[in-house]
Amino acid sequence: MSEIGTAQAGGRATARFRVTQESIVFLIAVVFFAGFSILLPGFLDADNILSLIQNVSILGILGIAMGIVVIGRGIDLAMVTTMAMSTAWTIALMNGGTGPVSAVLLGLGFAAVVGLVIGFLVAYVEIPAIFATLAMSTVIYGFGRLALVDLDVIYLPEDAAWLRALSGQFLGIPLPVIWFAAVALAAFAFLRFTRRGRFIFAMGDNREAARITGIPVRPMTVLQYLISSLIAFVAGMITASLLATVNIRVAQSTMVYDVILVVVLGGIGLSGGKGGVRNVVVGTLLIGILLNGMTILDMSFTVQNLVKGAVLLIAIIVDSIANPRDEQTAQQGDI
Amino acid sequence: MKAPLIEMRGVSKEYRGVYAVKNVDFSLYEGETHALLGENGAGKSTLTKMIAGVTQRSNGTITLDGEVIDFQNPAEALERGIAMVFQETSLVPSMTVAQNLYLGEEKLFNRLRGLYIAAQQFLSSLNFNVDPWASVSTLGAAQKQLVEIARAVRLNARVIIFDEPTATLTPEEKHYFFSLIDRLRKRGVSIVFISHALEEALAISDRITILRDGELVASNKTETFDRDSIIASMVGRSLSDELFYHKRSDEEARKPGPKVLSVENLSMGSMVRNNSFSLYAGQVTGLFGLIGSGRTETAKIIAGVLKRNIFHGGELRFMGRSVRYRQPHRAVMDGIVYVSEDRKAEGFFEQMSIAENIYMGHIVTDPPAGGIASASTQRKVTEEWSRLLHIRAINPNARIVELSGGNQQKVVIAKSLTQKPRLVIFDEPTRGVDVGAIAEIHKVIQGLADSGIAVLVISSYLPEILVLSDRILVSRMGRVVEEFSPGEATEEKIMYAAVH
Repeated sequence: MSEIGTAQAGGRATARFRVTQESIVFLIAVVFFAGFSILLPGFLDADNILSLIQNVSILGILGIAMGIVVIGRGIDLAMVTTMAMSTAWTIALMNGGTGPVSAVLLGLGFAAVVGLVIGFLVAYVEIPAIFATLAMSTVIYGFGRLALVDLDVIYLPEDAAWLRALSGQFLGIPLPVIWFAAVALAAFAFLRFTRRGRFIFAMGDNREAARITGIPVRPMTVLQYLISSLIAFVAGMITASLLATVNIRVAQSTMVYDVILVVVLGGIGLSGGKGGVRNVVVGTLLIGILLNGMTILDMSFTVQNLVKGAVLLIAIIVDSIANPRDEQTAQQGDI
Repeated sequence: MKAPLIEMRGVSKEYRGVYAVKNVDFSLYEGETHALLGENGAGKSTLTKMIAGVTQRSNGTITLDGEVIDFQNPAEALERGIAMVFQETSLVPSMTVAQNLYLGEEKLFNRLRGLYIAAQQFLSSLNFNVDPWASVSTLGAAQKQLVEIARAVRLNARVIIFDEPTATLTPEEKHYFFSLIDRLRKRGVSIVFISHALEEALAISDRITILRDGELVASNKTETFDRDSIIASMVGRSLSDELFYHKRSDEEARKPGPKVLSVENLSMGSMVRNNSFSLYAGQVTGLFGLIGSGRTETAKIIAGVLKRNIFHGGELRFMGRSVRYRQPHRAVMDGIVYVSEDRKAEGFFEQMSIAENIYMGHIVTDPPAGGIASASTQRKVTEEWSRLLHIRAINPNARIVELSGGNQQKVVIAKSLTQKPRLVIFDEPTRGVDVGAIAEIHKVIQGLADSGIAVLVISSYLPEILVLSDRILVSRMGRVVEEFSPGEATEEKIMYAAVH
């Protein structure tokens, strides 16, 4: 193991515990996979596995973005809305005759502005992240629907072959999986090896200590939300390519909870400062298999939501038991 | 003489092997006003908290009316008529004064008008000038304290414990408070009050008990004490404690280097008021003050941890340049580091290793090439500082939470010193640290001054101030009120300046 591993360089006892937690999730994923393979006809079909992996890739990319924010003790509930609106605008612009390069740049710019605004609200106005992003999610949706796109469902332009190619295959591997791997690798390197990645762990671990140590916590907070919004745009473009449409109603779906589910289930504590990309990958695997299996089982959307909600709740409960928030005995006055 | 109402016999309170209160006997008689005196950390609050059920004793017995009691929480104590008024108020900020007074007694249909009228009458009967309609969050510290006191009085407690009741009151309010105590006494209520103000204790108490380092020093009728004998009891220490034995002379003190920092009329809220002083390179400046004297707040403003008012905040000049830090980041980059008094809350990163903690400080001021953290630099920095500070750990990749308090403190100090500071502020550098580590930390502090760095040491432990400082400042009521050279300073003089 690299000596500068941040989360994994813990003492032996805790390291064993962490491995256990991660491997339990991994084990459950394997069990589900095996179970579905045996019990569900069609689960092991090449087509199904392909679509499973593709769907999971989007969730995984978003999960990595969310993971970066959560490690810094934040949360980004506006992520899916940002994804839908920035992508929809890009596609709408292309349909309206704007060149692909400028359309993509404008969409990316929109996502960046959203990330900066959220970061500003959280870091400088000091609104709790959960409220700032929840409110911003509504604002982005309303603004986008009003000013940027006038349809709920936007189809890709006929001539945008390059866009469709985003979800093609490379050496038999679906490209979304490769994008997921690329984002995961970049995030891994960022969190683990860079100075700013270290800062994010420090802020999630102990924000006040990070501040006093001289870490520029406010700009770093903005950076987190900027990164998450930009990654959301990337995930949006891949989704658009995959489905050949952009459906902005996804902003009002429960997708953002799936993303949180992936993060928490993988073992990134919501109290921040721990975990990494590996946790997101493991969480993604389990959720992907679960969602796909339930779809094949033809569970109604409602039942699926119920199951997901229950799993999320259990994951958060387990998280709060395994990683209790700081129970500082408030020693006020003198002893 | 009657038997005491509350009697403590051989009571101790132990926190992980450290005694906050050790084998103390304490008696409280019916209708008496009993002052509890001692330095910060002498165990006054802990002693009273054990009576009020806030904390539980480790050893000994406490009896009430001759019956052994063992309160598990404050509610049980309250049921038996023992109330405690805290230093930090326990009011609900978003509710009004009246609602706070009657908290927990609301009827199903609360007639608010009646509540306010009753509250108004009650408050005026106590001569407390507080508006029952006011929301508690809008009140000043003193008024909050009054509400808190009123609540205890209203509960008809037989024993009321006040923890520093007058620290935040104005002279006029103090006057009312003392007359209130007098009336309570006439009603037969027993009162324990913890105070730093010796004059008050002498004026209003019937008996005085003095604690030092968790042990009982003296307990007798007030008439038998005078100010000098109290101060002597509060600070008198056995000189066998070698670590703090050495008394510095003026000749040993380092001469001041260039002025590094000047603080002019610094103000913030009610905690820091028109504070002015200077710090010089190559010197250890000791800052002594009791709780509430604004010393930590002043330090935090200097280091940018707290932001001062832009209009009335006064001026800070660092290296001759006027500065106003909004965040510690700028201060750290300029060379001011603050080592917190609370290492767990503001010092270290508990999920990181020793090496990662130290390196975190390093990369703030010394960004690695290309922004890529370097494993070899981390190792080098950690080795260097572990050697300089004698950090003892099996391996540098052990998590910091596995270390002893002293070693944790050394890591926190190392984290700040890798930032190449020009001014280091240590806030209680040896709190909760074992004796061996204290000596090593003191050596580091001296070494910093020898190498030309300006050092400010805040401590409420007088011997520490005396053994370290080339210059001693005493803070009281939000400002530095007195300066001593090491030769002229004695514990008595410092304490005298701090309490008057």
